[in-house]
Amino acid sequence: MSSMGKLNKHQARMAYLFVTPTMLLFIAFTIIPVVMALYLSFTNYDVVSRMEFVKFDNYKKMLDDDLYWTTFKNVFFYAVIFVPLNIIISLLLAMLLNFKRFGIKLFRTMNYLPTLTSSVAAATVWIWLLHPEFGLVNNLLGYVGITGPAWLAQTETAMLSIIMVTLWQSVGSNMVIYIAGLQGVPDYLYESAKLDGATAFNRFRYITWPQLRPTTFLVSTMAIIGALQMFDQAFVLTQGGPGNVTKTPVYLIYNQGFNQLKMGYASAQAFVLAVAILIFSFINMRINKSEEPIV
Amino acid sequence: MKKWITIMALVTVVATAGCANTSTSSNGNSNTNANTGTNEQTDNASGNAGGGKAVELTFWGDWAGDGQKQFQTMVDAFNKSQDKIHVKYVLQQDLITKFLTAATSGGAPDVLLWDRWRTPLYAPKNVLHPIDDYMNQDGLNKDDFYGEALKELTNSDKLYGLPLTVDARALFYNKKLLSDAGVTQPPTTWDELEQAAVKTTKWNGSKLEVAGFSLGDNGLFNMYLQQAGGQMLTDDGKTNFNNEKGLAVLNFWDRMLNEEKVYKVGFEQGLGEGTDAFATGKVAMTYNGPWMLSTYKKYGKDLDFGVVPPPAGPNGDKGGVMGGFGLVIPEASKHQAEAWEFIKWWTANKDNALLWAKTSLNIPGYKPALEDPFFQDDPLYKPFLDTLEFAKVRPSHPGYSVMETEALIPNLELFQQKKQKAEDTLKKAQERGDQQLADNVDVK
Repeated sequence: MSSMGKLNKHQARMAYLFVTPTMLLFIAFTIIPVVMALYLSFTNYDVVSRMEFVKFDNYKKMLDDDLYWTTFKNVFFYAVIFVPLNIIISLLLAMLLNFKRFGIKLFRTMNYLPTLTSSVAAATVWIWLLHPEFGLVNNLLGYVGITGPAWLAQTETAMLSIIMVTLWQSVGSNMVIYIAGLQGVPDYLYESAKLDGATAFNRFRYITWPQLRPTTFLVSTMAIIGALQMFDQAFVLTQGGPGNVTKTPVYLIYNQGFNQLKMGYASAQAFVLAVAILIFSFINMRINKSEEPIV
Repeated sequence: MKKWITIMALVTVVATAGCANTSTSSNGNSNTNANTGTNEQTDNASGNAGGGKAVELTFWGDWAGDGQKQFQTMVDAFNKSQDKIHVKYVLQQDLITKFLTAATSGGAPDVLLWDRWRTPLYAPKNVLHPIDDYMNQDGLNKDDFYGEALKELTNSDKLYGLPLTVDARALFYNKKLLSDAGVTQPPTTWDELEQAAVKTTKWNGSKLEVAGFSLGDNGLFNMYLQQAGGQMLTDDGKTNFNNEKGLAVLNFWDRMLNEEKVYKVGFEQGLGEGTDAFATGKVAMTYNGPWMLSTYKKYGKDLDFGVVPPPAGPNGDKGGVMGGFGLVIPEASKHQAEAWEFIKWWTANKDNALLWAKTSLNIPGYKPALEDPFFQDDPLYKPFLDTLEFAKVRPSHPGYSVMETEALIPNLELFQQKKQKAEDTLKKAQERGDQQLADNVDVK
């Protein structure tokens, strides 16, 4: 027993040694900034000349800030469409590309490629593709007799365009995660189901989908977080316009902090956003936990 | 996941900026020490003038590409003109953020390129050094500069820099498109502008081929409002466009955009310089600044264009908005006297201002330089000089730009797309705008 204890102690010591560098970085670049931001959210810090403690003023102000809540509405609308589509499309792609065939890797790579491009560069290209008169999208629509809208400039389509562009860019990496998940599903489950005469749909419904639950949890959580933190595409594609329909909380925070120098207020907004993300991640966790995988 | 990194980076920036600031409170004294020390250093510099080393100045700006070359030309010319001061241009892409960090944690530049409208937001924070004493000492005449440009560099009766460029929007028109449509004279009033726009617009089914007049920039509301005889703000710092003058502007826009359809929302969005809608003949008339002259001139014969001052409104009111850059001296600079010498050499000397104008094709803020035939005999510059005579700078309220971008423009966008009525647009913009102005009035 005592030798076990010694070993454990030794292992524990080594473990601490190994996690120390990471933890130091984590503390320096995550914990301390978060604590600083929390403190700043109670001040009127402006980067340059003032940092006075203003108690809950920033949070009180937020309650009356219509624009802030509008941005939340915008990202919820975005998330409600983006998250399910993201899961469906990347799962379908993954199932489509999960066979061992000649050349399948080429197709996987092609589907993954959009993920590799920088989001700002990709968004810039999409601005051209979506141009109402000279853009490829509307030209293609023109061949079938449809006059396409001014995608990014019209209130009806601006957010849909952003959803489209972000989907295009994010399904690739989720597809890879799903392929990994699919390959972890044991073959004997399918074999025995087949012997029992289960249809393809039933095999998906009762084997694949439940087995992929942890994967879906990961993908959906990342998608929800990503949706609530949407910034680059909205910044490049529409600058939050038209009429604020694509303005997101992070965009607003960026503007408040760096353009208007209201770093204190921006920190408060960032904190409320962080809490919102936490809440939605928990809700997502509950939903996903309700059905545990079989194996 | 990338977004996580962005957020973390943001938070980190906040934190490091925070750390920087806390150290300032202790640095504050050393800053003032540095300032008093400047005089000694200046004395040393002039004492050393005979054989000593030149004082090194750092000049920060965010002009890259051609702009960087133009700056370099001026810097080289200055360095050659004397041997006491040596200036180095440093390109800073994220100029303001970098400057703020440097202003509080050391490493600030000695001369800073300054987008003038920012003055009311930053001057009260004591990050810029007033130049009134230098002006008096060197006997410079303020009347030699555009008064409006100086006004934009002034805060609480202190002058913070000298104008490097002045600009205002004027109406560019495509001569060929206008004459093809039977318009012989470029428009001088709103009515003429509207008629010319209707005549030059070409639709091919549901596709807009040539837009008669660009209505793509809602930020020009300020200019239209002046033409309608209005003002953006009242004297006591409230919005002043929710009235019949603001309504006149919106009705004018609505008529052209939604009834006569001389433009389409989003028509120019995302078109870069290479595919500029005016340069490629997709837009017959558009408001733009003198900075586009060099670009459009490149097209030579393919783009036969003219420029006229902005057409006057229904009651003959003229309106233009002046903007442009200045050069300022950061409070944290260690060589303020030398920095002033450089600024004076560049912006308050006829020959050098002219050299700058010819190098960059910008209009300098120093009026004596504009008497040169380079400007007076050029039919493309004349309309801009005429516009600058009556152009006004943006109101010097620290909350003005926030009000414009957050309260006014989003509502104007909704109006243009018929999502809300003109009256509601102005009312909402006023409510939100007044709130923004009140929130931002206190800068310090």
